[in-house]
Amino acid sequence: MNETLTSMRRTPYQTFAALSVLFFTLLLSGLLFISLTFMQGLLEYVETRPRVIVYFQTKADESQIAAVQELLKNSGKTGTITYVTKEKAFEIYKEFTENDPLLLEMTSADILPASLEIDATKPEYLPEIAEMVSNQPGVDEVQFQKDIINNLLSLTSNVRKTTLVFFSYLMFMSIIVLTTTLSFKIALKREEIGILKLLGATNMYIRKPFISESILLGVIATALANMVLIGILILMNSFLSGYFTGIGMLSVDMLGLSLSVWPFDLTFAILTLSVTTIFSLFITLVSSFAATNRYLK
Amino acid sequence: MISFQNVSVKYPFGNTALDSVSFDIEDREFVYLVGPSGAGKTTILRLLLNDVVPSEGTVLIDDFEITPKKFRQTALLRQHVGVVFQDFKILTDDNIFENVALSMRIKGFSSHEIQKQVKEALDLTGISDKAQKFPAQLSAGELQRVAIARAVVGNRTIILADEPTGNLDPKTTWEVMKIFKELEKTKTILFATHNTDIVNSMKRRVLVLKDGKIVKDKKKGGYEL
Repeated sequence: MNETLTSMRRTPYQTFAALSVLFFTLLLSGLLFISLTFMQGLLEYVETRPRVIVYFQTKADESQIAAVQELLKNSGKTGTITYVTKEKAFEIYKEFTENDPLLLEMTSADILPASLEIDATKPEYLPEIAEMVSNQPGVDEVQFQKDIINNLLSLTSNVRKTTLVFFSYLMFMSIIVLTTTLSFKIALKREEIGILKLLGATNMYIRKPFISESILLGVIATALANMVLIGILILMNSFLSGYFTGIGMLSVDMLGLSLSVWPFDLTFAILTLSVTTIFSLFITLVSSFAATNRYLK
Repeated sequence: MISFQNVSVKYPFGNTALDSVSFDIEDREFVYLVGPSGAGKTTILRLLLNDVVPSEGTVLIDDFEITPKKFRQTALLRQHVGVVFQDFKILTDDNIFENVALSMRIKGFSSHEIQKQVKEALDLTGISDKAQKFPAQLSAGELQRVAIARAVVGNRTIILADEPTGNLDPKTTWEVMKIFKELEKTKTILFATHNTDIVNSMKRRVLVLKDGKIVKDKKKGGYEL
């Protein structure tokens, strides 16, 4: 340990460069991991709450609405059906426009449509339910989450691909910088390595101090990156609390386990720490082996 | 036991460093390698470190045959051999104790055993009072003693010395030779040198090399070319 610290102290600029690159790589990787997990959680949340909203024409009467409700109940494909009357819709509208009295003055309950909010028992029933009610008398418009899910799926897929490219690039750059830094340090110790070889040191014995040094750099960078990540999560917590009002919990299925993504908890922080640690270990081990290999042939 | 059987070493571009050399060295034998520069003395020592492999013939150290081997096996071979060079090859950033102990740490000795053997080696070479000093604080003679101490610890049975007195004044040379005289009781020593005085005075076996060939092998010889 002392030898490792001494080596780091003797080459402060190289150590700082390697540490900075590792820190930023791990920080960005951690942020990407959190964002991806969060998006996946959101996607799974939407997917597990399939919902169709049927808007009625303003002139539709109660009997037409009741008939649609009956039809849906008999289909066996629906769960809860919530009837939002014109008055209730106006109440909701009032809440949304409380800061804009002019908009409120121009609107009354009469011009707002009544609607039915229908929870489907399975996401694949959504198109069937929409088809079933769209031609019923009094129905004006049917909205369901197909588009939202498709958009979210496409977004998640794109983010995943971008992340993969970005991850690979970050990893490649980190390995290059760390390998170069270590190679410089090894070059300074070329004579020492020659003596060690003459005395019968094995490759592993010669590599050990360089591997220890890069792992120590990795540990420091991981700790710093995770401290910043936890800070970011705490800061985001209050912002997201307001944004996700009504969503009790977001979770993702990972390695057969259901992991809570929102609200942020200790398990998620530990998982982020584990991911960054594995990433850091991979970078430091590959770099130290690549750097030492050149001098051990 | 060290055994060379019809060993030739040919370098690329046709240079021949050794040409069909054969000799045996018994355990705890002291052998001088003498000859003009380029005669093949260092090549013999390098062969014994598996730093060079024979183009023809066989080199054996006990049952270990020198062939192109993986680094792990070369490392194991070198752990049985102590080396002393003209330029000392001492680690400048480590103190004397650590320089000597390194030879044992590589072999995985316990701290207790390291303390014991390093102390004995430093006593033998007369530099126990310098254990905590750094190489920059020592004279050339003292540095060569450090190299000898490093070569003997860790149960190394063979010592290869490549012109170890080349950088030393006559007085220090004799002090160093006294240490080698002490070591020959327990170690096999191959000593390459140009120093006629020490070869003539000690009357040990002498292998005379010329143009890659052994031209003389005398049991109690002197320096003659």
